[in-house]
Amino acid sequence: MTQHARWRRSRTAVVGAAAVAMLAAGCGSGGNGGGGGGNSGPADTLVAYTGQAGDYQRNFNPYAPTMIEGPGNIFEPLFFYNVARDGEPTPRLATEFSWNDSGTELSITTRENVTWSDGEPFTAHDVAFTFDMVRANQTMNAIGFEGESEVIDDTHLVVRYPQPAYLEAPSVLGKLWIVPEHIWGAFEDPAQNTVQEPVGTGPFVLGDFKPQAFTLSANPTYWGGEPAVKNIRFVSLSGNQAGADALAAGQIDFQTGPVPDIHNIEKNYPGYEGITAHIFQIALFTCSDTALGCSGPQTDPAVRHAIYHAIDRTQINTLAYQDTAAEISPGFALPGRDDAVISDGLTDRIAPMEPDTARAEQVLTGAGWAKGGDGIYAKDGEKLSLSVRVVSGWTDVITAADTMTQQLKAAGIELTVQQSSWNEWSDARGRGDFELVFDSLYPGPAPDPYYTYNYFFHGDNTAPAGEVANPNFARYDNPEVNAALDALQQIDPEDTAARQPHFDTIQTRLEADMPYIPVLIGGTTSEYNARKFTGWPSEDDLYAFPAVWQRPDNSQIYLNLKPAGGE
Amino acid sequence: MRYYARKLGFYLVALWAALTLNFFIPRLMPGNPVDTLLAKLAQRGGTVDPSARRSYELLLGTDTGEPLWRQYAAYLGNVLRGDLGVSVSAFPAQVTEVIGQSLPWTIVLVGIATLISFALGVTLGTLAGWRRGSWLDSLVPATTVLAAVPYFWLALILVLIFSSSLQWFPLFGGYDTYLPTGWNADFIGSAIYHGTLPALTIVISSVGGWLLGMRNMMVATGSEDYILTAHAKGLRDRRIMTRYAARNAVLPSFAGFAISLGFVVSGSIITEQVFSYPGIGSKLLQAVENSDYALMQGIFLVITVAVLAANLVVDLLYGFIDPRTRVTT
Repeated sequence: MTQHARWRRSRTAVVGAAAVAMLAAGCGSGGNGGGGGGNSGPADTLVAYTGQAGDYQRNFNPYAPTMIEGPGNIFEPLFFYNVARDGEPTPRLATEFSWNDSGTELSITTRENVTWSDGEPFTAHDVAFTFDMVRANQTMNAIGFEGESEVIDDTHLVVRYPQPAYLEAPSVLGKLWIVPEHIWGAFEDPAQNTVQEPVGTGPFVLGDFKPQAFTLSANPTYWGGEPAVKNIRFVSLSGNQAGADALAAGQIDFQTGPVPDIHNIEKNYPGYEGITAHIFQIALFTCSDTALGCSGPQTDPAVRHAIYHAIDRTQINTLAYQDTAAEISPGFALPGRDDAVISDGLTDRIAPMEPDTARAEQVLTGAGWAKGGDGIYAKDGEKLSLSVRVVSGWTDVITAADTMTQQLKAAGIELTVQQSSWNEWSDARGRGDFELVFDSLYPGPAPDPYYTYNYFFHGDNTAPAGEVANPNFARYDNPEVNAALDALQQIDPEDTAARQPHFDTIQTRLEADMPYIPVLIGGTTSEYNARKFTGWPSEDDLYAFPAVWQRPDNSQIYLNLKPAGGE
Repeated sequence: MRYYARKLGFYLVALWAALTLNFFIPRLMPGNPVDTLLAKLAQRGGTVDPSARRSYELLLGTDTGEPLWRQYAAYLGNVLRGDLGVSVSAFPAQVTEVIGQSLPWTIVLVGIATLISFALGVTLGTLAGWRRGSWLDSLVPATTVLAAVPYFWLALILVLIFSSSLQWFPLFGGYDTYLPTGWNADFIGSAIYHGTLPALTIVISSVGGWLLGMRNMMVATGSEDYILTAHAKGLRDRRIMTRYAARNAVLPSFAGFAISLGFVVSGSIITEQVFSYPGIGSKLLQAVENSDYALMQGIFLVITVAVLAANLVVDLLYGFIDPRTRVTT
């Protein structure tokens, strides 16, 4: 999905723009040696483009959905969970946490000798205050937190839950941003306060602010030592095209989004390098359940399987994604990160990259579909004709869908691409007003496939067609899967042996039912100025998810960067 | 007096109709702010817990369940009090604040560009019309070709040449963000520097229309009897061109200019997109993309009022200049 996001702004301009961008890249390197980092300000200032379009509205409240920056950089979480790779969380404001045996009591040890950027000391009371505030204000409680916290002493607190809550830990420890009680305690309505002058414990403090750009400056009293990057400048541009132009001119050091000719970043943008991470699983979401009001050929699992076998993933990857996407598992565990939990019960551990048209036709014939005179299958007078909803202007998605149309035609399935505006698309997706919709499954707060499963496959998160599903858009409600997900909540995630049978159930059911037809794992590509800074995440050392907008991963990256000193 | 009262009454009714449309049209659009916001958050940063939906519904106050007519009544009342509501996409900023921040940039950029374009077009049109058949006539096809070129393409080409390759102008933005904001020479200088190329694109693409209109009016006026009389009186050619011909020929263009001034406020969405310019057009786009009804209504209101005001001024001036329009038949 990420990649879609990056393309979408280009709209109509994209056709001309792509050509112009390539020209621009060429001229840049031919003209005066290109950017190479000389233009983007002082050597210890990092210029980041987060995809912000238009002016910034000053809002540093980390709990506001419209905040512009803060989580991780100004306000810290207790731990940092890296969704990009399997591993233990990194301590930030807390040093340790543990569960009691029944998983109802979470004990947290907070860091000592930490001060807020205004000089006041940070204690476990601030943590408890933050937790209570989130619980008391439903408008801030985006994670559904319902624990009761009790402070033991200045560095210890416990959070109690009515039932086992092992899997709540990553959102509580990793996604609640700790705020100072001595300031926030006086806010009348903390949800609506825009926190113009943020005071946090984080590595950066707010420097200069202008609607077009603002600066975060290194916090000299940061508990981990003052960061080597002295300033981070966040600029606003009008979108993808402007971002690529600014990159070509060497005016930004870090951005996330595809650029033309993505495999030759080092050649086209001297001094810059690129990194691609895979976490958003691209799938064809189907409105799958007739019991929940879906209709159309895709409600037949055989049709979904036929599509699964008929698409040529290698070709889609090349034509639509510049070969940046990766192989996907039909059980929706991430290959690589979740290798340990990918079920042995799956027929295909990895979805085949090459098409198998004969297999697809066999599946359809087996389910009673018969090929008509026009080469398209039909059953009971109903033609095997489907529509897939995509957002107009998302060129990579449209290319992928068009490619599939051709591929499926060869297997006797008719696919029509239905473009609509972003708002209309997200509205239709929510209400189940679609046959197929091209979208991605996103990860949870920790490197654990449970969260994706729970969000997208649990019957609790779906709704009948016509009502808004959140976010089980495929209307998938399988008692077996629901039970496995509920059982997982009761098990300590450390106990991998106890979890695996449930993961096996979920994955094999998903492969058999296929409410989401797996396509590929989308690549999220970022470009960064390697001549100006060292310490960027790499494919071998993916210490954070490398995207400029991913919070708080970006703060881990900024903490790790060092000015190269070359320029 | 009755003439003016009637005009004002008509404009009040037009304003009410526009306000009503402003209220209903955004609500006919598919989508709602919460789902759009969630979809956006899911793309940027991955994790959106199912609880987030309820939380944001409450925060943004989109789930009031109030009947539409009551919302409409409240909306009219609020508009009269100057309260345009809270913007969802820039929550919790007031719509007036969001508009106030971006409107001046658009007015100055597009306003000056329109002024230059009009002055240039009318001057060149006068000359071309007066000396028809001379080389100046070749300006007509040249500028109309530029006006016919798709604007975004023209703008992108200019960015490519002047910003990316030659680096004469900045690539994006409305001002140098390293300078302190305010009324000082450095900042104003940087704003002018940043605005030059966007203004140039607007002038280039719109000057053709003024030129063509003015030239054709000059040709028509040139054959009038009073021009012949002026020639017979032995007046200087230059004086006849400016005082006799151009003054009469410019009237229709002038009316057009007054109306186009009203549209200045609506800005130039594409200009602001291409140049990442901090104006009202980019805000309108932001509002539409986020189903931000309040901001959309606010911007449409400003645009409507500006267009109506420009029309009103033209109407009133016409009644003053040409008494015939005031006569009731």
